[in-house]
Amino acid sequence: MDEQNAMKSLVVPGDLDALATIRRYVQAAAEQASLEKQQAYRLGLAVDELATNIVTHGYADSAAAGPIEVQATIDAHTLKITLEDTAHPFDPTQQDTPADLDMPLDERGIGGLGIFLALNGIDDFTYERVDNRNRNTLVVYRPASEVSP
Amino acid sequence: MAFTSNLEVTNGIARITLVGELDAAVAPQFRAQVEEAARSQARRLVIFMQDLSYMASAGLRALAFAKQKMGSDVDIYMIGAQESIQETLRMTGFHHSVILLDSYDAAQIEAI
Repeated sequence: MDEQNAMKSLVVPGDLDALATIRRYVQAAAEQASLEKQQAYRLGLAVDELATNIVTHGYADSAAAGPIEVQATIDAHTLKITLEDTAHPFDPTQQDTPADLDMPLDERGIGGLGIFLALNGIDDFTYERVDNRNRNTLVVYRPASEVSP
Repeated sequence: MAFTSNLEVTNGIARITLVGELDAAVAPQFRAQVEEAARSQARRLVIFMQDLSYMASAGLRALAFAKQKMGSDVDIYMIGAQESIQETLRMTGFHHSVILLDSYDAAQIEAI
């Protein structure tokens, strides 16, 4: 089994002000995993969009917003980020892909872009509902040259 | 870097300079300036992005709002957008509706 290096998890309140803190955490993980600049940017964007969705949809109708827990785990080949929240079940993979991406801006819908960007910017994504929590797992493959033997 | 958005309108050209990271938390500031630019009846919107290091989809929604609010005949120029942000614009098809320039081109932008 590959050796895993789990960073200390980050728990933040489920509000928009926490987004910058989450991005810093993901950035630190990306640096530790030696991701390329573009990979790191796409992963940061993906986590940010999913977290934004949790805050603006998941926790929007709740009387009190719950927390968001972020956990980075690095092994020889991958950087894995999990995002967990206590909002009602929401599976991002069940969202429709925006259909009219090539239409002029004043003639198209602009919903669903965040999830679209998130799922298209990383190598693998899974959603699970575990113990009344949503768990989003994002995986990015580390550059081959950086993988230790 | 803390996000800032600054608007200036001269001779029918609205110029917004974005600095820092544009996420859902700060997008309302950008959107408010887009609304102000629309109210000014500007015929062009020029967004300076050289020092914008990050843009989430909340920024895209503000751009779409700009196009809808100002009218489809108002061209939107984006100056100096970083490669990562350009990638986001291409992935979402926004590059079809805005004009991406590496640097400010007075001859092109100010010819009204």
